Amino acid sequence: MSDKIQTKRQSRNQEASESTIKRSLGSKIFGYGSLTIIVLVTLFPVYWMLRTALSTSKTLFSDPTSLMPVNFTMGGFARALGLSTNAQALAEGGSGASVNFSLYFMNSVIVCVILTVCQVAFSAAAAYAFSILKFKGRDAIFFLFVIALTVPGIFLVLPNFLLIRELHLVNSLFGIMLPGLLMAPFAIFFLRQFFLGTNLSIVEAAVIDGANHFRIFRQIVIPIAWPQIITLAILQFIGAWNDYLWPFYVGSGKPESTVLTVGLGVFKSQTPQGSPDWSGLMAAALIAAIPMILLMIFAGKKIVGSIQASAVK
Amino acid sequence: MANPVVAKRKRKSDFLTALPFMGPALIGLSVFVLIPGIRGIYLSFTEYNIFRAPKFIGLDNYTRMIADPVFWNALWVTLEYVIINIGIQTVLALFIAVLMQRYTRSTVIRGIILLPYLFSNVIVALVWYWLTDYNLGLINSVLDFFSIDKFTFFSDVTAMPTIALINVWRHVGYTALLIFAGLQAIPKDVYDAAAVDGAGEWRTFRSITLPLLRPVLAFVMVITVTGSFQIFDTIAVTTKGGPIHATETFSILISKTAWGNNEFGYASAISVALMVMLSIIAFAQTKLLSANQSDMDR
Amino acid sequence: MHNFTAVGVREAGSWLETENIKQRKKMKVFKRAVAIAAVLALPLGLSACAPAAPAAEGTISYGLWDSNQLPAYKQCAADFHKANPKITVNIEQVGWDDYWKKVNAGFVSGDGYDVFTSHLAFYPEFVNNGNILALDDYIKRDNVDVANTYQPGLASLWTSPDGKQYGLPKDFDTIALFYNKKLTDAAGVDMSNLDWNPTDGGTYEKAIAHLTVDKNGKRGDEAGFDKAHVKTYGIWMEGTGGGDGQTQWSFLAAANGWKVNDGPWDTNYHYDDPKFQETIKWWHSLSEKGYMPTFAQQNGVGWSDQLAAGKVAMASNGSWMTGSVFGAKSDKFEPALAPTPVGPTGKRASMYNGLADNISASSKNPEAAWQWVKYLGSAACQDVVAAAAVVFPAIPEATDKAVAAMQAKGVDVSAFSVHITDKTTFLFPIADKKSKINDIMNPAMEAVMSGKADVSSLTAANDAVKALFK
Repeated sequence: MSDKIQTKRQSRNQEASESTIKRSLGSKIFGYGSLTIIVLVTLFPVYWMLRTALSTSKTLFSDPTSLMPVNFTMGGFARALGLSTNAQALAEGGSGASVNFSLYFMNSVIVCVILTVCQVAFSAAAAYAFSILKFKGRDAIFFLFVIALTVPGIFLVLPNFLLIRELHLVNSLFGIMLPGLLMAPFAIFFLRQFFLGTNLSIVEAAVIDGANHFRIFRQIVIPIAWPQIITLAILQFIGAWNDYLWPFYVGSGKPESTVLTVGLGVFKSQTPQGSPDWSGLMAAALIAAIPMILLMIFAGKKIVGSIQASAVK
Repeated sequence: MANPVVAKRKRKSDFLTALPFMGPALIGLSVFVLIPGIRGIYLSFTEYNIFRAPKFIGLDNYTRMIADPVFWNALWVTLEYVIINIGIQTVLALFIAVLMQRYTRSTVIRGIILLPYLFSNVIVALVWYWLTDYNLGLINSVLDFFSIDKFTFFSDVTAMPTIALINVWRHVGYTALLIFAGLQAIPKDVYDAAAVDGAGEWRTFRSITLPLLRPVLAFVMVITVTGSFQIFDTIAVTTKGGPIHATETFSILISKTAWGNNEFGYASAISVALMVMLSIIAFAQTKLLSANQSDMDR
Repeated sequence: MHNFTAVGVREAGSWLETENIKQRKKMKVFKRAVAIAAVLALPLGLSACAPAAPAAEGTISYGLWDSNQLPAYKQCAADFHKANPKITVNIEQVGWDDYWKKVNAGFVSGDGYDVFTSHLAFYPEFVNNGNILALDDYIKRDNVDVANTYQPGLASLWTSPDGKQYGLPKDFDTIALFYNKKLTDAAGVDMSNLDWNPTDGGTYEKAIAHLTVDKNGKRGDEAGFDKAHVKTYGIWMEGTGGGDGQTQWSFLAAANGWKVNDGPWDTNYHYDDPKFQETIKWWHSLSEKGYMPTFAQQNGVGWSDQLAAGKVAMASNGSWMTGSVFGAKSDKFEPALAPTPVGPTGKRASMYNGLADNISASSKNPEAAWQWVKYLGSAACQDVVAAAAVVFPAIPEATDKAVAAMQAKGVDVSAFSVHITDKTTFLFPIADKKSKINDIMNPAMEAVMSGKADVSSLTAANDAVKALFK
């Protein structure tokens, strides 16, 4: 099946959602009603974060159920961005610790971009081997990657930390990236599922034409799978961006190797019984999510659209 | 899958070609997952507190585990979490995916659905811990306003379902979008045929959508189930395993045993048990997955 | 109360007094030295008569968890560097939960902090695993008067069973009742001198009952009180306290004449003692009466936020929370402090907990680390900490200064210091296998406080704890 037919069918599929089955008024009310409820339930806690981020931490609980910010201030955001002085921060119920926002932000960007690019590239190559190429033991080797999904993450932190230390990579950005640089079991699984579904006749034709597999991979399979690869990259990027425990162990010793999530960890509880700096914490969470929100707004159609474009099949 | 070309190609093996393709991934897998994993299996037969050399003790950790009520409790508690979390999440995600397919093409709505996934587990847990607080949480304030009895979200009975639902909130959009992708791939002709037959919404869903979606659902389930079994962050910032072990899942127990009690050998044994269990489940699921590959073959 | 420390020390025997005066004189010289010529301060003050210590130099790392104290310790590090230009201290502050992960990871990898703020709940295991250095040789060499420099008892908290000293005390904390004066005034409750017994709860329970208000405005001690719909609780439950009950019930059980064991490191536990069990039974009865949230209801946002929100009238807690509680003052919440109630023993009681700094065994520069630890334990640094008015430093004079500094900020902390003046403190239970004890006691206490088990079940828990040491 050629690309043209594929596209045609995709558009037909979209029509299907519009017209095939007649919708009664009742079903419409049910459908749009449900969607509204889902959107509200999804958005409300995020609004709550915003409302808290704009409140004054110290007196936040003088009105714990107010829907509007309590004693409105931008102080939470200022603290998260490292713009307030120590004294200002403490006065608003924040932490006395400092945040070097721009440095941490750049570290996060470096780690996540390199990690995502390498991880997705190597995973795509492996997925190609596990779907399009044929050899004995292929499925058994692939199953090792499925098993990797089952190893408790908490179990791997210590040995990998010691390994990174042996390599003298503690407190370096490279040490943070290394374990995920060469593969992610999920990524291989995801792309293999897709490649299995792609039409092999194009590949076959190319082989008969004398193209080697590297060229087929680069010039045929990757372009066909591009939306899926982008989707995967976004998902892996979000995961890497939010990762906390591993970069905490490996990178928190020096500012040059501290990523954003770890740097913003100062807003978590500082004493055993103390409550966190709520507004600083929520402001930090929102700010950390902004790069991804922007990504979704500007590339919204492409990203979310590529997820829809048969991520699995 | 009876592709004659593929069948013909089976004669020669692509193994040498495959090596450079899968090499980097295999190195990454071996160094950072398999070798530590195998070492973990070895450690599960030892007494080990990380500051002294591991001492081989045979099956002692495993006999202890089988007799340990806390281990069995962790098994049931984790299963309870996985069943509630995966059950509700999958059904809801399917529902949302179908709604999106049938009623809206708006990418804004799809973006909103994915929004909770952009925040880390820790933040999500803290926000919901507050919203569900018995005394000053918004949910109970609303109940109270309508003179409905307040609800304790974190008793020994309700804590695990509450945590499972919090994680549904974070992950359901992500799952829904994966399923939505699968829905988009179902050919329109099938729906046309159903419409001609006069099938209603529910029957169309049950007899067309659901069967054709099975491979996608199976893939989604492998990913979400293996992740769900390892639930950690949300509990670590809220109930920390309590009340009375009610939320002490495998990961929490492993973390407590290893870092809290310094019993890395025993913690390894519990981890191995979890890995074996998950591998069996994943194996069954992938079998199911490939068995259904043909359902959607073109 | 301004001089409570001096009173405490004076009563401590005459030979001790003379030692103390000596020490103070030393300190005075020391402080003047700092003021005049910072460079000369250390050699003059503490190690003047010691054999020349090997010259220490280099950079060391120091870890602490409380961000409120960070500015004070940064100041100390700057002063220290001035006095010892060859040594630089890098301070890293990490929040409580992550802090201990980091410390542990540092032990495993061997490149953790050189010096770190330590806690009594964890250091016994560090000692057992050989993770931290004993300071005895340094102390002897530099003639540091550990026994007499600090508030009585604090140094002994950091002594292992074989008599080795692992830390120099830096600060201490005691327990008091934090309350909302707006609510006590409205109820007409006097918090200043409460008494308690496990039978009827004394005036303590009366106060708690009267401060509890249901949603119809009925108080806990009035007819028709609806315990199912409480709007404001009399007192907060902050978890079950596990095997220590530091802020929850230890001040009651001790005032009832109970001890957790027979002294630091002792393994003969007394959770089977009727004095303990009747205390817990009474404490749980508060939940049943609706004066205190149930165990399930207290799960969620922390006690200090509940207090600030006016959802509860009082909560027992430690002096380290003073800053954040008083910072939350609003038109709904007027923070105030009252001492814990007098119990059947005729006295109040408060757990006495102290922090100190440990040196990692893997430190590559133990000499510089020790110089820093010594400085942290000296008046020069503790006075700086006192001026920050966040915690009570361990040196008596610095304690006085901290009290005065808090007073100046409008916070009357006499409810905490009264335990030092009256000598009603008892030591934090230091024990080996602490986390295993907690693994037994946490669920056992949770079962009792959730009403799933009778207090008598704690006897079995006690047997399980004792069995750990067989």
